[in-house]
Amino acid sequence: MIQDTKYKLTIGWLYPELMSTYGDRGNINVLTKRCEWRGIRVDILNLSVGFDIKLLKNINLLFMGGAEDIQQQIVAKDFTVQKIKALKKKVEDGTPGLYICGALQFLGKYYKDASGTKIKGLGIFDLHTEHPGAYTKRFIGNIVTRSDLASPIVGFENHGGRTCLGDNLKPFGMVIKGFGNNGGDKTEGAIYKNSIGTYLHGPILPKNPQIADFLISKALILKYGAGVKIKKLEDSLEKKAHDYILQKIASFE
Amino acid sequence: MIYLLVLLGKVIIFISKTLNIGSGSTWPGHIAVETYKDFIKRELTRNKHLKIVLIAGTNGKTTTGKLIRTILEENGNKVFQNEAGANLLNGIASSLIKNSNLVGNIKFDYAIFEVDENTLSLVLDNLKPRALVLLNLFRDQLDRYGEVNIVANKWKESLEKIDIKTSLILNADDPKIAFLGNNKNNSFYFSVKGESFIQEHASDSTYCPRCGEKLSYERVTFSHLGNWKCKKCGLKRKKPDIENYESYPLPGIYNKYNTHAAILTARVLKIGESKIKNYLKKFKPAFGRQETIEYNGKNIQIFLSKNPASFNQSLQTINELKAKNVLFVLNDRIPDGLDVSWIWDVDFENYFKNFRSVSVSGDRVYDMALRLQYANNESRITYHELKIYEDLKEAIGKETKKLKAKEILYILPTYSAMLDLRKILTGKKLL
Repeated sequence: MIQDTKYKLTIGWLYPELMSTYGDRGNINVLTKRCEWRGIRVDILNLSVGFDIKLLKNINLLFMGGAEDIQQQIVAKDFTVQKIKALKKKVEDGTPGLYICGALQFLGKYYKDASGTKIKGLGIFDLHTEHPGAYTKRFIGNIVTRSDLASPIVGFENHGGRTCLGDNLKPFGMVIKGFGNNGGDKTEGAIYKNSIGTYLHGPILPKNPQIADFLISKALILKYGAGVKIKKLEDSLEKKAHDYILQKIASFE
Repeated sequence: MIYLLVLLGKVIIFISKTLNIGSGSTWPGHIAVETYKDFIKRELTRNKHLKIVLIAGTNGKTTTGKLIRTILEENGNKVFQNEAGANLLNGIASSLIKNSNLVGNIKFDYAIFEVDENTLSLVLDNLKPRALVLLNLFRDQLDRYGEVNIVANKWKESLEKIDIKTSLILNADDPKIAFLGNNKNNSFYFSVKGESFIQEHASDSTYCPRCGEKLSYERVTFSHLGNWKCKKCGLKRKKPDIENYESYPLPGIYNKYNTHAAILTARVLKIGESKIKNYLKKFKPAFGRQETIEYNGKNIQIFLSKNPASFNQSLQTINELKAKNVLFVLNDRIPDGLDVSWIWDVDFENYFKNFRSVSVSGDRVYDMALRLQYANNESRITYHELKIYEDLKEAIGKETKKLKAKEILYILPTYSAMLDLRKILTGKKLL
């Protein structure tokens, strides 16, 4: 149990001005507050276009949100070979991270957009995404999935791209209700080491606080050693908001 | 043909009113346009005297429309508008039917039409407005409208072929809107003098609409509005035709923009300065937009808050009005957007400590409560400190009861919540 200020985490927020739509910022609020309520100090480090890769060294947790196409193109230009290498190392070292929607697509090998243009991804996750064209159906609506981390997970999805996972990459969750990665194989997002990629907005963390606690806990263990345990918080409001989505979805069955 | 459609439309309006199944604000027009796709064009060719003012933008359409209407009516002009929410092509056609006589003649001087962001291009294919007012483009219901950039690009395409006789009333402070202007002397720009330097989180178009470079701001009024320029390609804010006025009919920076847009429109329509000033004094707020309603002997003021930009503006304005008692009502029905993620883009953190009593209600009451729990900077608000009402009527009843005699309950609802709220408040009055 920790309840003092000897612990401190630095959260690296990748491209906050560009990759932050659909309330993605809420995930940062939740990570910050859930640390502070436990006496863990938090620094948020904004990693904007042109950021120095040396900054990555002291980062304990990474977050990247979704974006519109034009903004994704600006970000893609900022990923130099060195930057990709440095980020890949962070992920391989087990730095926990949360990557939403467009960020999930970025982690993969490539993203083919609605016009057919192929945008190269970071190649950190063994997945690829294709948008079948502007006139195909977008996957929009409330979504429920199950995973080992928290079950059921609730969120809101809104994406045109269809993501396919490589053979060795585990999905983050399996769809109970909704579309998920591609509307076909029931997979949703991907998890590799401590990095979670997901299509879930909502934002995902407020109504699924176990995922926030997983990320915080992993970050502390990586920094301070395996013995660190975090205090449980009273999550009755979180649960009420979570259960409302389940009820709402059940009432449409 | 046109007579028949007008007649048919009028019959539908009559039937739906009589049977109480709606005011017929979209169906008659829908049928008319479906049967005869040039219905609007033909109807307007028959009524060349009718001048049209179109208003589009994410926030402020209704208030700006009402401001322009007030000025015109005080000036002795006959004016009609499309009905609230009926802002697609069928709503405009319905409005024409409703306001014409049986043979399709319209005895009005002006029509003011609010137009949905995604419908503007289609509307411009069907009619030539005397003035086109473009207010702003903010993040709003991404699940329905899609990306802000896509809307801006569509507008750009339509405006390139717009008739020179149409005056464009554009927001100079909104880069994407200002970029729609041209050099043909039919573009007029409004702005607001501001002093803030901090950008809110929910900013959208901080990138150059011409070259994509990040914009520099000398000052920001709110969200992405301000005095901007691009250091790379040199594109910059146009010199505004109006940026300040001696008095405003409503508080809030956003209403300064709305008022400036209305004044500029009135000037284009050749109404004299002193007249405009006097006419504005007669303005009464549109429903739900800072409208005050008395309930149980107490005053309630409603600030429609439907997306991050409008919510932030409501919070800032009620804070300036020294609000102490606040009720947030969040719904997730079709007019509100099914996705409530956007509440996390609202900067509650900046205002929270100034409110004495905060309560929440609406379909998504727990999402709103959760947002506030994470917004409190001092300490964690517990489940019990925040007043949570699943039932809106109970929320209003209990929250008004606690007010001291002169106090106001400030209610910030989403669109459908505002309609529910008015039904409760005004329904009570009738009984």
